[in-house]
Amino acid sequence: MTTIDWTPLLAHLDRPSALWPKKIELDDVGLQFEGKPPLFAGLNLTIDSGDFILIQGPSGSGKSSLLRLLNRLQDPTTGDVLVDGASTAEGDITRLRRALAWVQQTPVVIDGSVADNLTWAFGFDIAKRKSPPDRETLRGWLDAVLMEDVALDDDASVLSVGQQQRLSIVRALLTGPTLLLCDEPTSALDDASREIVQDWLERVNIEKGIGVVMVTHLPFTPRRARVRRLLLEAGSLIEQQSERGAEA
Amino acid sequence: MIEIGPLQLVLCLIFVVVAGTGSVVLRLGLERDLAWGTVRTFAQLFLVGYVLKFVFQISHPVLVLLVFAFMIFWAAHAVRGRVKEKQVRLFLPTFVSMLVSYTAVAWVVTAVIVQVDPWYKPQYFIPLGGMIAGNSMNAITLALERLFADLRDGRARVELALSLGATYQEATAPMVRQAIRTGMIPSINALMTVGLVSLPGMMTGQILAGSDPVVAIEYQIVVMLMLVASTAIGSTIVVHVVRRTCFTRSSQLILR
Repeated sequence: MTTIDWTPLLAHLDRPSALWPKKIELDDVGLQFEGKPPLFAGLNLTIDSGDFILIQGPSGSGKSSLLRLLNRLQDPTTGDVLVDGASTAEGDITRLRRALAWVQQTPVVIDGSVADNLTWAFGFDIAKRKSPPDRETLRGWLDAVLMEDVALDDDASVLSVGQQQRLSIVRALLTGPTLLLCDEPTSALDDASREIVQDWLERVNIEKGIGVVMVTHLPFTPRRARVRRLLLEAGSLIEQQSERGAEA
Repeated sequence: MIEIGPLQLVLCLIFVVVAGTGSVVLRLGLERDLAWGTVRTFAQLFLVGYVLKFVFQISHPVLVLLVFAFMIFWAAHAVRGRVKEKQVRLFLPTFVSMLVSYTAVAWVVTAVIVQVDPWYKPQYFIPLGGMIAGNSMNAITLALERLFADLRDGRARVELALSLGATYQEATAPMVRQAIRTGMIPSINALMTVGLVSLPGMMTGQILAGSDPVVAIEYQIVVMLMLVASTAIGSTIVVHVVRRTCFTRSSQLILR
């Protein structure tokens, strides 16, 4: 594996002391779409900031919907989602979503260059007092996810799906989230890229205290992080034994 | 101007008979619609003629504005019917936005530009207002169709923006711009081609009524520019108001 100097990249990210919220809870949550059988019911889960959670389960079990409940792109049918004890239906939804950066299953790029995409979220009102990372930092991030052959000024729409996936993760991370919600973030990556992205999610988790909730159907063997494994199956969420990476 | 009497109107039915015969011979199956359409044309226009005659005689501002509101109601109704979007409440926001913006534009035209005294004089206010409502109705329909299509297609992009901390306004800004542009393009195209490709109805009418063509085109210029303003204002307000109704209180896109 390529050796990467992580220090300058990680230094750019927010420190854990700035992290909010401390805790997210699913409180007896159920979800049912109109005209369909219920997807799940009575789910309870507490996510503490800094947790690394892996959600696995058969397709159609509602893994993606579970992530969408956390950042309130979806309302639960029953129960509630709580942030530091308060319902996410109240409160500042924009701030909450900014804190829980969501990486979609199918990557989405906006019209423009790779750099435009990476700094897009700095153009929103919520980030008006933050300056976007400079080009050197952006370059470093691309290199760190094995995208050395992609230039910052390249048109983002011509990148491969795998490259767009990596771009999406970097874009989300640069916003300085407390928690990354990743929906199959490595599904289109080759083994080398997948390994580097997984390694790197573990690093930001350990060194920056950034939480990760990752939905994946691919095998995941942690190297360093302590990983909570959850299985979403037949409408219920089963917590399995947590696991610590061998290199920890 | 040569007046058209009952005999001439009856004579006009020849045109309908010609079309109807064609429909029978070619088996187009349009005879019933043609007959019903002809009856409605006579009935609706005579009704409007007598209502307008009454309104012109009374010439009271409340009555004039009521007639204008009635026209806008049906324009908003037509927009609701033509936009194929059933998940979002559309009628009331459209009607209210149209009422406010068109009354303002019509007032500016009669009171400030043409300087009609009084500003609500029905001979001026109602036909000018009617042209505003009719033209902008098309603009608003185009703008809303585009808005809904782009929001559906761009759902993933909108949700991505929301999840990175954008407000729903920020997340949809490019769609809103594109929708308003789409609504305005026909009235801008009309500015380019007027007089070359077609002679506008109002100008034609004035010329038939015996006006100096130069007076007629001066009015037409006022109308063209007035329509640019009313389509711009109307579609901008309607698109912004309707966009709000596409999102829940927690900024979730309703359209699926």
